[in-house]
Amino acid sequence: MRRVALLLRKDIRTLGRMPALAVALVAYPLVIALVVGLVVRYAGERPRVALVDEQGALSGLLVVGNARFDVERRLEQATEVDLVRMSRAQAEHDLETGRVAAAVIVPPDFITKLRGLRESPTLVLSTTRGGLGTRVVEKMRSLVYSTNLELQQAYIDANLAAVDLLLRGGKGTIGRTPFTLLGVRRARAQLRTLERSPDPGVAARARGLDAFMGQLEGAVGQVGSFLRATANPIELRQEARGGRTWLLSAQVQGYALALAVAFVTILLGAGALVAEREENVLGRLTRGLAGMGQLVVEKVGFVALVGTVMGFVLAVAFGVIVQLGNVSGGEQWVRLPVLLAGLVLAALAFGSFGVLIGALAREAATASVVALLVALPLMLLALVPAGSIAAAGWIGALFPFGHAQAALSAALYDERPAGTLVREGAWLLGLGLAYGAAARVAARRMLG
Amino acid sequence: MTAALLSARRVARRFGSRTVLEPIDLDLARGEVVALGGPNGAGKSTLLAILAGALAPSNGSVEAPDPARVGWMPQQPALYRRLTPRENLDLFARLAGLADPAAAVTGALEAVGLDAEERRAATLSVGNVQRLNLAIGLLGDPHVLLLDEPTASLDVAHRQRLWRLVAGIREAGGAVLFATHNLEEARRWADRLLVLEDGVATYTGPPGDYREETA
Repeated sequence: MRRVALLLRKDIRTLGRMPALAVALVAYPLVIALVVGLVVRYAGERPRVALVDEQGALSGLLVVGNARFDVERRLEQATEVDLVRMSRAQAEHDLETGRVAAAVIVPPDFITKLRGLRESPTLVLSTTRGGLGTRVVEKMRSLVYSTNLELQQAYIDANLAAVDLLLRGGKGTIGRTPFTLLGVRRARAQLRTLERSPDPGVAARARGLDAFMGQLEGAVGQVGSFLRATANPIELRQEARGGRTWLLSAQVQGYALALAVAFVTILLGAGALVAEREENVLGRLTRGLAGMGQLVVEKVGFVALVGTVMGFVLAVAFGVIVQLGNVSGGEQWVRLPVLLAGLVLAALAFGSFGVLIGALAREAATASVVALLVALPLMLLALVPAGSIAAAGWIGALFPFGHAQAALSAALYDERPAGTLVREGAWLLGLGLAYGAAARVAARRMLG
Repeated sequence: MTAALLSARRVARRFGSRTVLEPIDLDLARGEVVALGGPNGAGKSTLLAILAGALAPSNGSVEAPDPARVGWMPQQPALYRRLTPRENLDLFARLAGLADPAAAVTGALEAVGLDAEERRAATLSVGNVQRLNLAIGLLGDPHVLLLDEPTASLDVAHRQRLWRLVAGIREAGGAVLFATHNLEEARRWADRLLVLEDGVATYTGPPGDYREETA
């Protein structure tokens, strides 16, 4: 450990004498984090979906029962996807060329069935295979679900009107055929007249019928509550509240931190071991002063230290912005110790990966280029939504970025972050050890 | 026979399929200075690196009595260019676990005549970098000193200082092996000459008896 500490002190001193590199290490990830944050927020969360209205009836108010329902406005309020009206031919073309992730087709009989209240109308959702398709299906299910909730209320109101007519009596229509209904209450009034009949048999039958009609009235009177309860066993009420701006959202902060730490540690790690070789000191060190294993440990430690410090400074900067902006919902300062643990593990895993790249590349320029070429797609792969592409998930799982992002986001905002932190922390530690061991093996070639 | 301070036994080295050093035996005896000659690419630096323990031999072994203090000055300076000479020496002294690093640093600087100025090694002249390279090799007061073309880049005065240093180690019962392209240096300062050509030892004996023009 003494030798590792001596080399670590040397590397810190050396880094301090490269101000341009130090500034670049801090500034570059911040810029990248900002750009990716924008992409994640605006491109990742609102897939473009075509809306094909084959009946041309979505515009204007739709009367369902006695309720007026603005379908178009309802769809426009959907924030999950970006719905774009177009013809069926245009939608098919855009779907093929990937300009839209999916197409929602409203068939010609949709509105007719909806108004009829007897048959469920069908929406057709066309998606591409793989990619964003799966995600769009989830988003559209969510949209249809929320639309159904509003329609259910209209259906319930229409049904309740019929129940009310049954109770009170009056005039109604079935289709275009008018009818007049006596109603339960009026029927009971007439039965009470019959109860006073001098014929004991008639009076007894009238009392029996009145008792039944009383039970019927009570039961039918509960239909409204039953209908509502059946339609919405659990009701979700959404309330709009002042939250973080996009820049400060938990997800973007998590991405920004993971991205910044990943860039710094992978690039620095790739160059750290190679720098020893380019200074020509590997031979001098390994003849009894410091073994290759110690060098790998020291480089990973150094890189992890730099990455952790930089990530911590970035997190503090976010915290200050949250504090100054008086943004609700944040627990920045309380979570800093937990976040620090996540940063250490993330930086260790990324650092080991970078040192491995350096050991394989053996030359500074090659190591830097390879680090960028390898790390960038792997980081972007981790941004692919879970479940979209199975292979991306597997490959992404073997790279620390997704785990780091999950751990850091959990550390920042999860109500109970322990479970996620332990799981993702174990991944990061395991990956760090595996990459470190591979770097130790690869580093042998650097002496040749 | 005087016990060797450092010995190579059938030491050979390959890089991939290319053999750069055929099996070779070499003993460095107490009080002996040996010159290592031969053209570029003959295997001189490889042999020195193997003897120094900086490069593992593909075959054979290097033997030394315990404790063997072996100093090594590689042909290409092996030091940190963003550290000052004193910081370099202090780091290597501490890594070597020397009892008094500060004294060792001062002694090494004095031995090569290098000022302890607070300039980074990257800003030093080529000659001064070479002297710092030598100074690092001198840390720990080595019994055996392995020098790879030590006079390259040194001016006349510092060459004289270097040879006085070599003579001092010989007088103290140590041994020195130095690689050189300069046959005159070998004849003047070495007791024995070993010539390598294409990784094969083609001559070993008194430098004065060697008559090859391309040493």
